Amino acid sequence: MQSHKMIEKKRKSRDGKKHDRPQKFTKKSKFSKKKGKNEDEKRRTGPRLPQSLRKELDRVNPNDQSCSEEDEEDVNGDVYEYEEGVPEEESKKNRRFDSVENYEYELPKDFKDENVDSDEDDDFDGGENEIAHHKGKKGDLDQLDDDVEDEDDERHLRMLQGITGMPSQAFQDRKKNKVVVSEGYPESEYNPTRDVLDGDGRIAIEDLLESIQGKPGYRELRKITRQVEKKGKLLQAPLPKEDRDRLERIAAYKQSKKDITRWEPLVKRNREAPTIIFDKDTDSGFSTIGAIASEFEPRTEFEKKMSSLVNDDDVMAAHKEDGSRLLELNKISLEDYINSRNHIAKMRSLLFRHEVKMKRVKKIKSKTYHRLLKKDRLKGSVGMPMDAEEAKELAMKQEFKRAEERMTLRHKNQSKWAQRIVKRGMDAQDEGTRAAMAEQLHQHALLTRKMNSMKDSSSSDDSSDEEDSEKSDGSDEDKASKLLAQAQEKTRRVLEEDDGVPDSGVLSLPFMKRAMKKRKEAADEEGRLAIQEFESSLKELEDTDGAKITKTGTVSGRRVFGASKTQVIEPKNKIRSSSYSSDSEAELEAQEDIDVSLGRTDDMENNINVNSVSLYVDADIAQDSVLKNSELVKDLGPKMTYEVSMLKSNKWKKMSSSRNEVDTNGKRSQKVVEPVTHNQDIELEGVGEDSDADSEGQMLDGILSSEHKSSYKLPSQAELIREAFAGDDVQEEFNKDKEEIMNLENPEPEKPVQLPGWGQWTRVQKKKGLPSWVLEEHENAKRNREETLRKRKDAHLKHVIISEKLDKKAEKLLTGTLPYPFTSKEVFEQSIRMPIGPEFNPATAVKALIRPEVVKKQGLIIKPIRYEDVDSHERGGEERRQSGQKRRINRNKGRVKAVVAKS
Amino acid sequence: MKVKVISRSTDEFTRERSQDLQRVFHNFDPNLRTQEKAVEYQRALNAAKLDKIFARPFIGAMDGHIDAISSMAKNPNYLKGIFSGSMDGDIRLWDIANRRTVCRFPGHQGAVRGLTASTDGSTLVSCGTDCTVRLWNVPVATIMESDNLSDCSSEPRAVYMGENAFWAVDHQWNGDLFATAGAQVDIWNHNRSQPVNSFKWGTDSVISVRFNPGEPNLLVTSARSKQLSKCVNYYEYNILSTCEPTWNFKMETGSAKFDPKLGLIFPISQIDRSIILYDLRVSSPARKLIMRTKTNSISWNPMEPMNFTAANEDCNCYSYDARKLDEAKCVHKDHVSAVMDIDFSPTGREFVTGSYDRTVRIFQYNGGHSREIYHTKRMQRVFCVKFSCDASYVVSGSDDTNLRLWKAKASEQLGVLLPREQKRHEYNEALKNRYKHLPEVKRIVRHRHLPRPIYKAGVLRRVMIEAERRKDQRRKAHSALGSIVTEPMRKRRIIKEVD
Repeated sequence: MQSHKMIEKKRKSRDGKKHDRPQKFTKKSKFSKKKGKNEDEKRRTGPRLPQSLRKELDRVNPNDQSCSEEDEEDVNGDVYEYEEGVPEEESKKNRRFDSVENYEYELPKDFKDENVDSDEDDDFDGGENEIAHHKGKKGDLDQLDDDVEDEDDERHLRMLQGITGMPSQAFQDRKKNKVVVSEGYPESEYNPTRDVLDGDGRIAIEDLLESIQGKPGYRELRKITRQVEKKGKLLQAPLPKEDRDRLERIAAYKQSKKDITRWEPLVKRNREAPTIIFDKDTDSGFSTIGAIASEFEPRTEFEKKMSSLVNDDDVMAAHKEDGSRLLELNKISLEDYINSRNHIAKMRSLLFRHEVKMKRVKKIKSKTYHRLLKKDRLKGSVGMPMDAEEAKELAMKQEFKRAEERMTLRHKNQSKWAQRIVKRGMDAQDEGTRAAMAEQLHQHALLTRKMNSMKDSSSSDDSSDEEDSEKSDGSDEDKASKLLAQAQEKTRRVLEEDDGVPDSGVLSLPFMKRAMKKRKEAADEEGRLAIQEFESSLKELEDTDGAKITKTGTVSGRRVFGASKTQVIEPKNKIRSSSYSSDSEAELEAQEDIDVSLGRTDDMENNINVNSVSLYVDADIAQDSVLKNSELVKDLGPKMTYEVSMLKSNKWKKMSSSRNEVDTNGKRSQKVVEPVTHNQDIELEGVGEDSDADSEGQMLDGILSSEHKSSYKLPSQAELIREAFAGDDVQEEFNKDKEEIMNLENPEPEKPVQLPGWGQWTRVQKKKGLPSWVLEEHENAKRNREETLRKRKDAHLKHVIISEKLDKKAEKLLTGTLPYPFTSKEVFEQSIRMPIGPEFNPATAVKALIRPEVVKKQGLIIKPIRYEDVDSHERGGEERRQSGQKRRINRNKGRVKAVVAKS
Repeated sequence: MKVKVISRSTDEFTRERSQDLQRVFHNFDPNLRTQEKAVEYQRALNAAKLDKIFARPFIGAMDGHIDAISSMAKNPNYLKGIFSGSMDGDIRLWDIANRRTVCRFPGHQGAVRGLTASTDGSTLVSCGTDCTVRLWNVPVATIMESDNLSDCSSEPRAVYMGENAFWAVDHQWNGDLFATAGAQVDIWNHNRSQPVNSFKWGTDSVISVRFNPGEPNLLVTSARSKQLSKCVNYYEYNILSTCEPTWNFKMETGSAKFDPKLGLIFPISQIDRSIILYDLRVSSPARKLIMRTKTNSISWNPMEPMNFTAANEDCNCYSYDARKLDEAKCVHKDHVSAVMDIDFSPTGREFVTGSYDRTVRIFQYNGGHSREIYHTKRMQRVFCVKFSCDASYVVSGSDDTNLRLWKAKASEQLGVLLPREQKRHEYNEALKNRYKHLPEVKRIVRHRHLPRPIYKAGVLRRVMIEAERRKDQRRKAHSALGSIVTEPMRKRRIIKEVD
């Protein structure tokens, strides 16, 4: 049905130029047909023919049209080839479509046709109308038809002639043929004949083209038409709306899918990034001062006033040009002038009044008043900030005060009042007095302390000075001898002092005792020597006293003395440094004593000291040599044994090296001075000889076959191992261990013991022994144990222990299953292997290690993603940005190396 | 004599400024520190515990509405502003920092069903059951900040009338279009009183609509069938969540059935609980996905324009890839009642859901279970939730007429952090993340105290799911090999995909 309608529609549109009249006619015809409507409806039951065919049939047997269509079917049986099913809407089998009374308007039955003589009527009329038409006026129609047909043919011929330019005969023939067939209808464009339907009679473009053959442009036109023909297709009928919508949706979905897919690389990149940073570039402020100033807007009244003046156009212009206009602008109005004058006058009067007041104050003679005034002034000035000069003045003042205090000691209970109070005793005083005293003392302490703090750097010198001053009472000449005497005394004391040997501890051991004794003897010796020397020097000193006096007489005063002292001290220090190398404690002590006592001595003393030092050095050497020797002996002992063992086990191997060692030892021993015990020496020599002999043999075996070599057999690896582990039985130990572990994990059941009186009377117990159930239980436990032991995984593995005990402490450090994103155990373990803390990693690495997955700023609005081209193949660690709002830091797989984002 | 001294080059050790730190040398040889793993594990444990101690997510409630909050919208351009609409037609603008109303927008006669603001934050669009769409001018931020203006109210800039009630509205990102959902989907322009475009596909009414922020021309809607709405409501208000499986079963069968529990006959002739994708460029719907239960709300992932997550009536959320709608990418389970609203964090890494079970949960975008659950004694059914624009706060609106402000990370320290503090937090977080799979840490991190009804509902739900699974298993075991195929959860709830 659809196709029918379509064809009809097309036809309508085709006869555009003849549109008016046919419409009119259809109306009329419809009117005329109205009366026969019902009959028509009834009749329309059989299979429908294509309209064109039906028309033809009409023409063939117009009379039959009057009868019902039932017989038409019979008649038509041999004429048409195929049957077209009745459309659903007409068959009314299902009520899916609204029933329509009639599809085209029909005229009422009694309608009379007025004047139907135009050719188009027939041309146009469709099947059904035709029927009605014929029914209406059967009689005259035939005649009329013939006339019309003739006329029509003529016209048609003419038209064809006109269009094609061919002689009319060509068409006449055709027409004749048609007549023979006796078509029911006059042939026209709208009523195609059979051959037209077959494809013969249609006017093709070629026909039209022929008329212009030979004219310019013909060839091109033909070419085009051929091309069109080749490609030409028929337009398909549009699909139903649902289908069309569906297709549209599919297309739309496809399109949007494609559009979304372009985000994929971007999203992938963000997802794979270890850290995604949402950090829009926010301006933290202004970059330059100028920028800040340009943003400044006056807010307060004053600022506004200022800005209005500063930004005044005139002033700006004047500045730009030259200064002359500025003067003009500087003019002051009269009002302003008066104002300023008044202001000045007021100020002056104020000043005057102040002056007068000060004069009056100055005239006041009351001391109390002035004191109070001064106090007030001072109080006021304390908190005030002051300039450098003022500060200096103040400092000077304070310094003066302190000096005064030091001189007068006014606050150190020196005043009469204070002395009296002290004399009377503090206990007798009342509260106020005591407080005053305390205050005074405090004042003193404060002042003196301040002084000390001022001279902090030189305090130590001062103390020494004071010491000096204390000591400087006696004459300088006496001092040296005194010191010497003191030193002598001290040395003696040290010598006499019998240092108690400790009864316990390391020092109580016999060899330690011996060593101590030896040392002490040496020290004593030295001490004695020192005393002797002191004595001699004392004598000398007494001799040279006179000379000394003259020497010191020339120089007087502390300063000079100090200078000489420093001179003397220098060599002393030297001595000290040299004496540090000595080993014995006693010596050191003596030395120190001497040093202290020789506070200020002259060259002579120095000499003495030097002598003693040389002596010490000698002693040192001696001692050292002894020590070294003993060491050597000690060294030799173990070495010898070592060598022996070597010789025993594998002589062939280490011989040369041992020999060398022995040689060096020998050399060392030769170097060392005499005190080496004789037998040791012999031993050493013996060894040396031995080794020499051996080494000779060794040397020989490189070239010749020596006796040593032939006698020695190289042991096999197994043999060596057996020898090495001769003592221990590993297998046995392992078995024991395994058993132990088994017992620990599955302990053996306790043997049942009978407790007298438990569970049964003792006599019964005695009679019956252990109750049967106890025994049974014991048996069961035993069996169970054996069972479990047999079921153990390592029951059949001889050399393996598989512990089946669950370690609860370790359990909490293990995951039950492999965590989700990880695919293998190794990867998971790797992921938690390296520590990330700042204690275990350098600061630069830590930052990358602990960076969170999402870095965002609080209070920063995060915008949705914006499209940005991403090269999906791009890899590596460089930082990329996302249209200024998002950055990503790519880290290497190695985790530690992170790329720090640069902003 | 041999003297050993430390030798250091001066230019390596000279500081540029006196404030610079002295260089300290550390020997990082792992052999020197054999206990490092144990130390870090202990630290992770402590960090997890500290997190629990400092977990104080609730910041404050914003009260003022006199009816349940039905919709919310955040100002995309101003962090502190959030709009809320209530069932009585009241719209308020809140200052989150001060937690007070800044401005009111009176005018709606019925419930305000949808609220949205334009990207520049200057226009507020509201729609409701009174069949109107209203456009409002949002007061400027500076005015909001000034204290004297406590309660200003403004007139709508425009009122557009529709034929049916509106259920939702959403504004295009960086555009001047907005879409309303109701009987059909309408696309509006700010300046026109009539929709510029209308879409209708199927007979269902659309209940939520969302524009894709990445692809501004793509939008997704969820719909439900009109016939069913009454039943759904009845179900919602009478029996909580736990009868969910029976309900699902009813929905599957596709014919009238008698439900013994509700005593209702479900007229299941034409069911449409669909999610529909629209493309504005070709001005046509693109694809429809029909699920077994209604989808209450949808949210696009702002960082992944192809993905969206649907908050479903069956207590779960389903993440879909818009290109492959035949199966969900992830099913987010944990709620024990219908999920009412969903909103993605601007980072795209997590989303917040509000549920009918009186809780707010936060999920990872790819996590099957929630990371966090928020609840208070006084919070009732949650109807709408929003993530703040800086991804650090969550706002929920509930039946009890209050908006509640939560921290997105429960134990986060607010305020300005010193660099060292920041580093410390980061270290703790990294440690927790590293050892999160170990049982002790996991237990502490996951543990939450729940209100008894929610806890019990969860347990019951689990039991039921397990029973169903077991039954399925047995059925499978007793039938021919391959005759019963169990679909994964990702596919099970999808009826079909329509093109």
